[in-house]
Amino acid sequence: MIWSAECRRTLRSARVLALLALYSLFSMLVLLVVGGITRALREQLDMQIAQAGANAAAADQVTAEFRKGFLGFLVGGDQAVMEALSQVPLVVVVVFKATLFFLPLYVAIMGFDQVSGEVGPRSIRYLTVRARRLSLLLGRFLSQATVLLGLVLIIDAGIFVYAWLTTPDFTFGSFTFNLLKFWLAAMVFSLSYLALTTLCSSLFRAPALSLVVNIFVLFGFWLVNLIGGFAEKDSPVAYVRYLSPSHYANGLLHPGLAEFAVSGLAYVFFTLLFLGGAIVILRERDL
Amino acid sequence: MSERAIEIVEVTRRFGAKVAVDGVSLSVNRGEVYGLIGPNGAGKTTTFSMMCGYLRPSSGTLRVMGVDPREDGALKGKIGVLPQDAILPGGWKVGPLLTYWAQLSGVANPEQEARTCLERVGLIEAWGVETHALSHGMAKRTALAQALMGRPPLVLLDEPTAGLDPRIANQVRQVIRDLKDQHTTVVVSSHNLQELEQLCDAAAILDKGRLAQAGTMAELTGQSAEFRVQVARGTVIVPELEALPGVTSARMEGETLLHVRFDGQGHKPEEVISRVVGHLLQTGVLILGVSRGRRLEERVLQLT
Repeated sequence: MIWSAECRRTLRSARVLALLALYSLFSMLVLLVVGGITRALREQLDMQIAQAGANAAAADQVTAEFRKGFLGFLVGGDQAVMEALSQVPLVVVVVFKATLFFLPLYVAIMGFDQVSGEVGPRSIRYLTVRARRLSLLLGRFLSQATVLLGLVLIIDAGIFVYAWLTTPDFTFGSFTFNLLKFWLAAMVFSLSYLALTTLCSSLFRAPALSLVVNIFVLFGFWLVNLIGGFAEKDSPVAYVRYLSPSHYANGLLHPGLAEFAVSGLAYVFFTLLFLGGAIVILRERDL
Repeated sequence: MSERAIEIVEVTRRFGAKVAVDGVSLSVNRGEVYGLIGPNGAGKTTTFSMMCGYLRPSSGTLRVMGVDPREDGALKGKIGVLPQDAILPGGWKVGPLLTYWAQLSGVANPEQEARTCLERVGLIEAWGVETHALSHGMAKRTALAQALMGRPPLVLLDEPTAGLDPRIANQVRQVIRDLKDQHTTVVVSSHNLQELEQLCDAAAILDKGRLAQAGTMAELTGQSAEFRVQVARGTVIVPELEALPGVTSARMEGETLLHVRFDGQGHKPEEVISRVVGHLLQTGVLILGVSRGRRLEERVLQLT
């Protein structure tokens, strides 16, 4: 009941339109920049190949090598992931990775006041005498998740349609399968960050403070992932990257079931951890 | 089922070093209109908030309608609350918001209940108005309407008439009287002592977080043990009055106000008052009026 009421309320508000516009603009920007860079690189490659007097087969091979190298950079050099993404236009992968990077920030902007926005002005007092705090929190979380997943689907579909129209060998089957796969990956990924936002929102009365702390935590996670990634493999510091949800993102696109399951479970763990924390805090706190 | 709607035993609430409520014990009987009285910072709203489960006591125990108010969801359907300074959530129109809350409360026909309660507070015309567009008085009445939805057996009202114009305040007082007639237990926290004196059966006077006095309104105002006579003209012979049966003391407060105390246990007030007034008239004293007990305001000022 809370979920449906909150969904209706969110969809009625101007905020959801603003967020959709923001997310669309950002994705479009990345799409255009990446598309432009890819085209320029392709032209340069074609020119260099023509100057070198190579034939069409050699040109295609160089292009394929370039794509492979770029894809390897994006997915951390995992051959299996690269293989799985070989059917997907490069522009889709780049835009997806870029939006995935900024998705936690977007989620924070979207949901930072889901609890603190009610605790600060004490509106929540009207609710806690007629519903359990647990139900309130889960209702809010699920309504935010529903709206978020709807927005992500719209954006993902937009990116895929663009790629479909501009890439002749991108088949409808591949389009549908990969759209579903990318959307599910974004869903699993974003739910853990939404749970983090819920946790931060449950901690404070002031929505602005919730947002600031949420952003601090996000930067903390990115930093931990980077430090862990740059450290020597044998160094204990390398293990800190396992503490960051960002570390498991590539595994969500992995074709292997085990790798996908590990990443998926890691995100489920983070989601439950953050959401569990939020529930405990809201149950115990003064309103 | 317990006859007590609310039982508070040795409840203390601290905010850091500050003790907002200090060892307060009180009980509210079912069907009673009960007042929480005290100056600013006395601990009224903190006590009220603990009754509603918004705040956790630092120590002591609370039972509201037989349950611990901090238990998640335990108060559902048992109480209606008008919280002080709680802003109505934005993004809603009044009617749909109340309907949603009625649904959460488990009311059988939520929309009808929302309409009925808005009518009770004289605000049905606000059904389609956005909550952020409501005036202070309209928002307060909307909040009062939500407290009445589902006919809860206990209604807690924190400053229900604060900031309202006299006509609407009177309308709110009538709603409280109606609740009393329906044997609903009502707890009212207010600064308006005249209002509380009119409405309440019993009250607790809080001061600096402590309970200064609690009891029935008659006990608090001494209605069963004293009265005052406004003298227009004539000489009051105090020793003769003190000799009358039941009178324990008599004294003049200023030149025109006679204060009489009597034994309320052994004598009925109407008998003692008639005896004293009769004696005054016999001795040529003309009187303007008689008032039983003290004003609640006087009692509160004395205690706080």
